[in-house]
Amino acid sequence: MPAIYRASFGFLRRHPWQLGLAILGICIGVAVMVAVDLANQSSRKAFLMSMDTLNGQATHQIVAGPGGVDETIYTTLRVEHGIRRIAPIVSGYAHAGEVALQLLGVDVFAEADFRQYTAPANFETDLAASPDTGPGQPEDMVRRFLTVNGSVLMSAATAAELALSPGDSFEILVNGKQRQAVLTGILRGNDGREVGGLVVTDIANAQYWLEMQGRLSRIDVRVAANDEQRLSEIRGSLPPGTELLSASGRTETTAEMSDAFMTNLTAMSFLALLVGIFLIYNSVAFAVLQRRELIGVLRALGVTRGQTFRIILSEAAVVGTLGAALGLLAGVWLGEKLLVLVARALSDHYFAVNVTDVAISSASVVKGFVAGLGATLVAATVPAIEASSFQPRLALTRSTLEQRAGRAVPRLGYSGIGLIFLSALMLALSGRSLVIGLIALFVLILGFAFCIPFIVRGISNALAPFAGRIGGTAGRLAIGGVGKTLSRTGIAIVALAIAVSATIGVSVMVGSFRASVSDWLGSTLQSDVYVGVPRGSLDPALIPDLTSLPGIAEYSTSRRAWLETDNGRTRILAIRMAPGSYAGTNIRDADPEHVWRQFNQDSAVLVSDSYAYRHETQAGEFVTLNTPQGRVELRVAAVYQSYDSNDGAIMMSRNTYNRYFDDSAIDSIGLYLNDGFDVDLVMNSLREVSEGRQSLIMNSNDNIRDISMAIFDRTFVITNVLYWLAVGVAIIGIFGAMLALQLERAREFGVLRALGMTPGQTGVLVSLQTAFIGFLAGLTAIPLGLVMAWVLVEVINRRAFGWQIDIAISAQPLLAAMALAIGAALLAGIYPSWHAGHARPALAMREE
Amino acid sequence: MTTTNKRAQVRIRDLSRSFWEGERQHDVLRNLSVEFAQGETVALRGRSGSGKSTLLNLISGIDVPDAGEVEVSGKSITGMSERERTLFRREHIGFVYQAFNLVSTLSVSDNIRLVLELNGIGREQADQRILKLLDAVGLRDRAESYPDILSGGEQQRVAIARALAHEPVLLLADEPTGNLDDRTAEGVLQLLDELVRQAGGTMIIATHSAGVAEYSDRVLELQNGALVS
Repeated sequence: MPAIYRASFGFLRRHPWQLGLAILGICIGVAVMVAVDLANQSSRKAFLMSMDTLNGQATHQIVAGPGGVDETIYTTLRVEHGIRRIAPIVSGYAHAGEVALQLLGVDVFAEADFRQYTAPANFETDLAASPDTGPGQPEDMVRRFLTVNGSVLMSAATAAELALSPGDSFEILVNGKQRQAVLTGILRGNDGREVGGLVVTDIANAQYWLEMQGRLSRIDVRVAANDEQRLSEIRGSLPPGTELLSASGRTETTAEMSDAFMTNLTAMSFLALLVGIFLIYNSVAFAVLQRRELIGVLRALGVTRGQTFRIILSEAAVVGTLGAALGLLAGVWLGEKLLVLVARALSDHYFAVNVTDVAISSASVVKGFVAGLGATLVAATVPAIEASSFQPRLALTRSTLEQRAGRAVPRLGYSGIGLIFLSALMLALSGRSLVIGLIALFVLILGFAFCIPFIVRGISNALAPFAGRIGGTAGRLAIGGVGKTLSRTGIAIVALAIAVSATIGVSVMVGSFRASVSDWLGSTLQSDVYVGVPRGSLDPALIPDLTSLPGIAEYSTSRRAWLETDNGRTRILAIRMAPGSYAGTNIRDADPEHVWRQFNQDSAVLVSDSYAYRHETQAGEFVTLNTPQGRVELRVAAVYQSYDSNDGAIMMSRNTYNRYFDDSAIDSIGLYLNDGFDVDLVMNSLREVSEGRQSLIMNSNDNIRDISMAIFDRTFVITNVLYWLAVGVAIIGIFGAMLALQLERAREFGVLRALGMTPGQTGVLVSLQTAFIGFLAGLTAIPLGLVMAWVLVEVINRRAFGWQIDIAISAQPLLAAMALAIGAALLAGIYPSWHAGHARPALAMREE
Repeated sequence: MTTTNKRAQVRIRDLSRSFWEGERQHDVLRNLSVEFAQGETVALRGRSGSGKSTLLNLISGIDVPDAGEVEVSGKSITGMSERERTLFRREHIGFVYQAFNLVSTLSVSDNIRLVLELNGIGREQADQRILKLLDAVGLRDRAESYPDILSGGEQQRVAIARALAHEPVLLLADEPTGNLDDRTAEGVLQLLDELVRQAGGTMIIATHSAGVAEYSDRVLELQNGALVS
């Protein structure tokens, strides 16, 4: 290595703490980014692969509304139209013990063109030696599959999880009812794809178990590309309310539901990287400042500006490469932890995703590495330019540097104000774009960050005289020193302030959201007891028995179904309101009495906040639905408050639903008890009545509210993890900054010690200064945090999920943020305080 | 104008340089003209703030004048771009400072090698030259030591070796004995004198020490930015 590079890298070797902290800062920033990317991609990939497995080679699917597809359509297409490459499917969910399974009912004779693993040639069994079942030839297996009562197939992994072998009988819970199943064979995915978590049965058995006699969940269709004639023929033969849709399009639409969630997580991960960038800048800037004399000597010896620039950038490249490489390793580890949280949140809110292993994609790795290295180089560019502009006169004194930094502070402040205006402009003009909203948020953070040194200098200068009166020269040195050493303290304060403001922003947003959801649950949950079936509907014969029990005054019913509409897949809520239910629905900007009259008498519907925002729908407009009666237009009576689902919902009365849809299913009922009746006693009676008929989920009002809030809190666990990681990066940064600052001031402390200041006094001086730095970071973080909270609530959440949240600000998150800032700074200042206090004056003065 | 009969190595004409202190302009050099001949050793004396260091910085191209011209070996430094000045300095000028200014992260030999590398001298040739220079300054046994464990006199001898490593035509020494005791200072001046004269180079020593005069061909006195003798 050439001597000029050795001269420069030698500095890093001599300051391993500084080097280590810079690498750690980049490492965490990259790790968070890579982890979120891997967790998002792995979840999505797992979902798409499972859908791909289920859909097989189907190019299209015939689907209908909530009641499913009439099975005679399949017969008509196959027999009358001679279309052979179609397969009927009945699908649902089941439980074997604690294991959740997807139930797929198939016609094995129609499967060959669709799913390889359900093709008889791929069934495996070790029953060949059994005299009861005959030899293990494909035809015998098909025979067993079709003739053995409750026959099912599953993958070897699923069978192992359930401790089953071919031939074993076991109980399976479908639609809340216990069924007897027999494992007659093992599914073998011949293309290596996971078919785990899946249980395949004959279509007639599936219809029986899922109580879908005469109905199909869908018909899979396979047509050659561009065979429009065949597609038109199929479409032409379908009755109203039944549609032919692209299979991949349906999967994508479902996957896209989680896009906003994933974009928000990605943005959170960028926050850690942004904090990291400030810290890298800080580290490099420090390293440059500390070497100003070395650089001056090199320049005097004939090192050009370009060479100086390249030296600093190559150092940054080495640090960035090391940090990014370590960040990738840490990212994979962290990704596995986050995957559990992401998968759980996706399963709670969007679609079932069963994934435990992170799929490491080269794209994520390259992206993380480039981001880490790129961020480091970008952050190092300014100090590198600064270093190359040093005049080789060896007269670049500390005061000259501070004067230069001092002159830059107002300019930076003006640029910051400009950026804040730009951000406001972006927010105002970007319509509903989430990505531009997030970019505007980052511009806003940057704008605030640029203003912070100006504010810090003002506060520090204003407080210094008071500090002097209380703490004498030492007090003035500690407090006034911060503003006078902005070139060294400014960036550390900015980095800590950004991280702390993020905690305020996110805390206020989550707190407001939580309060809104809690209020909403308080008003929506009007019933005393809720009864339902996990992933199924209530047995119609059971409902009268449940609702006629003593103590039950009224009941409401609810049915949640998906419908393909012109606006994509839409959730339909069919509600039979009990008299007490109406007050629980918060109608936006309309007279509730008038709205409910239209709802009950005129087939009008309500749309949720999210639906109204996403589809720009308002009261008085119409929504078009495909029903078995054909396309119907229903008037929107009002918009209602709901945090039920972020893709929005259309609510209609049960009468309206029955009028247009051939579906009598009821998912859950809400029971209103007479005064004086004990909830637990009624729930015991409900259990007795349903015993042996259907396995029900029962929750009291309080219980369901707790469960809902637990799901809410679970969703934000990942957000908390991410912002605490950002705070972690900031603490590391402030530690590095304090260390470098105190090392740089070693001579100053040496002089103070030589003049008679005790080690304790010197330590207190440093601690006082670090606490003040923390205080300044906390103070400047508060306005930024509050504005950030406003943007998160009013712009980001609205654009991402369509939710309307009332901002609730309490003192608690602000005080917590201030405590965090001061605590983090004090924590970071412990070693520098000790170091400053124990520095030997003679040595310290000589080191300079 | 102070002139010499020998061929001029450094020619300075009407050189002015001022600095601003807030609202106040401080003239450091005022219309200064002087020539330094090849092989000549000149002591530049004057009190602190008289402009000695500024003059050396202007001669080396480290700083640029407000007015006037500096010519070294027939080339106008003042007409050059920043990069050209850097490359010219790298090749033709050596510097010795009061504070030594060795690179603390490099060993003694690497401090010298740094300049040789900058001038594109190959490793083998550089090794030979480093050994020769260390022999000359009496520090061969300290080749792999780092500057911070050397005494002041030793550090300055390394600095002299580094300044002469690329055989510059002009050596500028800014208070080279300012940080040394009398005996060590004497040794350093002898060494400088011997090595520079041996190489036939020109040396300008800025100093306020009277002892430097006996090693100089001429002594110039700077007062308030102008030459008085």
